[in-house]
Amino acid sequence: MNTIIEAKNLTKVYGKRSTAFTALKDIDLCIGQGESVAIVGKSGSGKSTLMHLLALLDKPTKGQIFIDGVNSTKLGAHALNRIRNRKFGFVFQQFFMNVNDSVLDNVILPLKIAKVGRFKRKKLALDALKTVDLDEKAKNKAKDLSGGQKQRVCIARAIVNNPEIIFADEPTGNLDSATGDKITDLLFKLNKEKGVTLIIVTHDEDLAKLCSRIVRISDGKIISDQAVSKDQRKESSKRWEKEAARVKKANEGKAN
Amino acid sequence: MKISDLILTANHNLFRNKTRTFLTILAIFIGSFTIILSNAINTGVNDFIDKQVESIGGDGYIEVAPKAVYEQLEALTSAKVQEYSEDAKTVENSTFDDETIKKLSAIDGVDSLNPYSLVTVDYITTNKTDKNYKVTLTILPDDSLKIDMVAGKQVSNNTSDYEIMITEDYVEPLGFESAESAVGQELQIAVPNTLKCMMTSDRKTCQTVVTAKISGVAATGVMSIGAGTRANTALYNYLVDLQYDGLPESQKMAYMATGHIDPVKEDAIRKAFEDEGFTIMTIDDEVGMIRTFFDVILIVFNIFGAIALLAAAIGIINTLFMSVQERTREIGLEKAMGMSNTKIFLSFSCEAILLGFWGSVIGILISMAIGYGANALAHQTFLSDFPTFQLVVFNPVNMTVITGIIMLIAFIAGTAPAYRASKQNPINSLRYE
Repeated sequence: MNTIIEAKNLTKVYGKRSTAFTALKDIDLCIGQGESVAIVGKSGSGKSTLMHLLALLDKPTKGQIFIDGVNSTKLGAHALNRIRNRKFGFVFQQFFMNVNDSVLDNVILPLKIAKVGRFKRKKLALDALKTVDLDEKAKNKAKDLSGGQKQRVCIARAIVNNPEIIFADEPTGNLDSATGDKITDLLFKLNKEKGVTLIIVTHDEDLAKLCSRIVRISDGKIISDQAVSKDQRKESSKRWEKEAARVKKANEGKAN
Repeated sequence: MKISDLILTANHNLFRNKTRTFLTILAIFIGSFTIILSNAINTGVNDFIDKQVESIGGDGYIEVAPKAVYEQLEALTSAKVQEYSEDAKTVENSTFDDETIKKLSAIDGVDSLNPYSLVTVDYITTNKTDKNYKVTLTILPDDSLKIDMVAGKQVSNNTSDYEIMITEDYVEPLGFESAESAVGQELQIAVPNTLKCMMTSDRKTCQTVVTAKISGVAATGVMSIGAGTRANTALYNYLVDLQYDGLPESQKMAYMATGHIDPVKEDAIRKAFEDEGFTIMTIDDEVGMIRTFFDVILIVFNIFGAIALLAAAIGIINTLFMSVQERTREIGLEKAMGMSNTKIFLSFSCEAILLGFWGSVIGILISMAIGYGANALAHQTFLSDFPTFQLVVFNPVNMTVITGIIMLIAFIAGTAPAYRASKQNPINSLRYE
């Protein structure tokens, strides 16, 4: 398995001198291509900071991050923008959509930034929407969608540039379990079928157990880094299915 | 992001908050409208003056009259008692005799000088009307002068036929339906013989009625040395002969002259003529005042417009700061997706420039609507005598320059908010509630 992201001695300090706060301390982490990694921790543990550093949204105070073997700390702003634009996809808990724009326009945004031509980007965006089963809603305004549909649009937006890695920050945090389940399904399907590396930040243990690996963080340090056994993954996924079925039933009951 | 996408996206973003954008554009519009319309009026007036100037032959055309004439007029209006001196030039000894002409023509820079005697016409009329009308008749001394014509042609000096051109305001009184229908028609001119009329009380017996052909109708001018009722040389000389017949040659002497000079040497020539007892009048003497008046008005209105634009610029700053604040998370997302700081800066700058652009375009459109409306209205009312005078003229170069300047002002106003947006940290932006 090829290493896609490697972090060495990552340290992140916020503030200066007396008010300095060390969010991450000497983190070493190596993530292989096609892995699905959950970064788990309580709020304030540094899990989001770690994701931001790995996603090149922020610069570490100390240490290096290698993307495909390239030392990102030595790259300029232009190259970093390019990596994020071409190789990464982002899914956020709060969606971050332009709700007054159409679904299609929201999905097109990364391609617009990447200077993809008008016709090609429309086609790619429609393909991505088809993957999340929302191609019929392409012309709708984003504000008319439900929460689950919004997150699916965000996934379409994350995959439209055919990324190598998807960073998902609490992707199911704003959704009920049935819709959350659908989102999770989508993400793992992309992981399995397209070999996209998944890095999910969450405090949801059930979601974490669906990943092939769980990295636990506390007080800015990795306290455990374990592979999840196949049995555990299956069981977790069964539990998800059960939960989903229960919610579905409950919803149907309400509808009747 | 491509530049075309940047502009289209910026325009799209602008109209997300329609009310706010509209109000900001309205503020810019007030400034652009003031400047554009006042410039259009100034262009219109200057165009008209230029046409008039051209109709008299452009720069270098002069009219010469004895200084004594002006001095006498001055003496009429001033209470100052002047001492008599035998050497002093009088109207009588300021005539254009051959010697004077030779002397004046020799002055450096004088290209030509054509004296003419004054003819006093009693009236003009046609066989289409019973009435007789007074007129001040002058000569068209030089074929190179281009008169602003409404119909027909200006009189020609290359013919022995008697030709006359009238101004537009005579068309109807003389019994013609239109300016076009007057062209080629006959006109009667009654000229008195000075000597005979001194000896009789019956005016009719001392008048001669001369028939001439109307060569064309000139637009009414605003200047005394502009278009007017003018005769060609053949007609004019004939009228002079009729008027002065029987009088001694000295009475026939010309008091007026027209000519051409080198405009560069105008000051020296003016002084040389003064020394000889003659005053010259150039076109600038006549139109300079009008031009200065309208230029001052233009400056005043441009200052008003500039103040309005300054206030509008502050409006742009305010609008964009609000926009940056509202779209903090959007900016964060775009940065996360790899949009560079430069492009973020450009996208907000584009919005500022577009605000300026729309403000100017609306300013131009509304000025044009009002301007052309005013033109049409003016020609039906107070400008009906001046069909060639456009009250407002929209010069595309001026419009483009004004639009460019307003867009530049908008860009400068937008730099502060755009800079703030470009410097935002993507993580903090995404966390922003």
